[in-house]
Amino acid sequence: MMRPLLDSLGEPFFQRALIEAVLVGAMSGAVGIHVLLRRLPFFVVAMSHATFPGVVIASMAGVSLFAGGSAFAVVVVLLLIALGRQQSIDDTSLVGVILAGSFAVGILLQSARSGGSTELSAFLVGSILTVSAGDIASTAATAAAVLLYLAGTHKELVFTAFDPDGARAAGYRLRLVDAGILSAVAVALVGTIPAVGTLLAVALLTVPALTARLWVERIGPALVLAAGLGAVAGVFGLCASAVLDIASGGAIALAAAALFGLSFVVTSLGRRKPEVALG
Amino acid sequence: MSEVLFGSFRSPYMQRALAQVLLLALLGGVVGVHVVLRRLAFVTEALQHTVFPGIAVAFLLGRDLLLGAVVAAVVTVLLLVALSRARRIGQDGALALLTATAFAAGVVMVSRGRSYQHDLTVLLFGRILTVDGRQLVETGVLAVVCTIVLLALHKELVLLAFDEVAAAALGYRAAVVEIALNVVLALVVVAAIRSVGTVLVVAFVVTPAAAALLVARSPAQAMVLAVGFAAVSGWIGLVVSFDLSVRRGVDLASGATIVVVMTGGFLAVLGGTSIYRSTVRRRPGRTSRVDRAEASAA
Repeated sequence: MMRPLLDSLGEPFFQRALIEAVLVGAMSGAVGIHVLLRRLPFFVVAMSHATFPGVVIASMAGVSLFAGGSAFAVVVVLLLIALGRQQSIDDTSLVGVILAGSFAVGILLQSARSGGSTELSAFLVGSILTVSAGDIASTAATAAAVLLYLAGTHKELVFTAFDPDGARAAGYRLRLVDAGILSAVAVALVGTIPAVGTLLAVALLTVPALTARLWVERIGPALVLAAGLGAVAGVFGLCASAVLDIASGGAIALAAAALFGLSFVVTSLGRRKPEVALG
Repeated sequence: MSEVLFGSFRSPYMQRALAQVLLLALLGGVVGVHVVLRRLAFVTEALQHTVFPGIAVAFLLGRDLLLGAVVAAVVTVLLLVALSRARRIGQDGALALLTATAFAAGVVMVSRGRSYQHDLTVLLFGRILTVDGRQLVETGVLAVVCTIVLLALHKELVLLAFDEVAAAALGYRAAVVEIALNVVLALVVVAAIRSVGTVLVVAFVVTPAAAALLVARSPAQAMVLAVGFAAVSGWIGLVVSFDLSVRRGVDLASGATIVVVMTGGFLAVLGGTSIYRSTVRRRPGRTSRVDRAEASAA
């Protein structure tokens, strides 16, 4: 049982994967708290699908997939904002339409070129075992930038999330703060693609944060806890995938879900006093 | 012209694909209007991902895929109701959690199989061209059942969508109607998922209805328009993908082509209505019911 794990731990590719999993887990866990505060989970799901055509185009053009995905994510955000101005349709349905539409464009582009099924599934569900030292460096840089941004603007982010009117009256520029946090979410999302793929990124961007919120009420500590939980889920999932020989991206997402399930049961049993719902 | 529109459907598999698309247009259009009115797009998205592991299990066990999908859909609806009530999680959180977890479970299960890449692609993107007679019958039965349930509950559903307080005061049981709608939605996802795949079902449900509600004056009218919109898009999508694949040698996935046609149609309708609204002065009597409901909700 432990043998394959010990063997794997000695391999350089597995060590690289572990570092990547910790970095990605910590970054998405922390960003996840803001995703929940601002009720952005569906936005994250939409973005995770919407980056797909960009990734396919980038792979056809032979440029960086990270750049392709990010560029397309920006296009989709702008499209959603522009179409959202029309008062005739609600945001949820609009996001649903654009999400499926842009994903279909990705599939169409992918089906028009021959082969590439392996590469395709790597984007969809990740292939963390093949990350290079360069990938780790870029993930580390992304994670550092995102975490610094969250730490630096923590007060503004929390204030505008809870009381947009108050924040506006106090002179904060809401549009700027919104654009900032949406970009941070998009960057974190694209950053998790090598590890868990576009379709599973939503797991790391919401589940550790949900778990952290079961345990602590205050935003700051929840953020730190979510980052820790994300990293732990990454390590557990990766080890489980080595032992059980299952897809690593899926295993990481399931590890995050298992931590949530455990926390949900324990906190439900241990709750004594009524608490105030958060967010 | 008729050669372009009908020539693609000489072979039996294309006829079956067309029949399947038209049945899905009926199903998706009717339930979709309720989905858009209630903003259930995220629920649809979650269902299409949570049905995935059910199909994967049935696939690995060699059982009927429909059975696996139905079981997974029912479990999802129950979990969603239970988790949404827990404090600190909320519906958004519960949906994200279920979507991600179920999808991960599906991927992990498929990854244990021998032909991982191939199986994953089929489950994700569906195979509309390999629909067989039995699948058509199953879809047909689902279409009939779902349409009957929705028509029977039409008044209650519309009332609850627009004015929950009045519905409660009149003695309607919101929970029962709510669960009925969710079960129907789950069945629609199940019916669509094998032919259009686990990531595109949401388009068949949400896109035609969203386009129809931009112009319709009543939910019933919107349903008729949505079904028509979906049927025409499905037809065009199949013709385009067949034409390009067989005659021009550019392989296009048919499910995805249909969805791209639908999205294009939606954007055209959205553009058209906003131009119309900015040029024609709106008279009070000519606003749609949906507009008024949104205005009063705002």
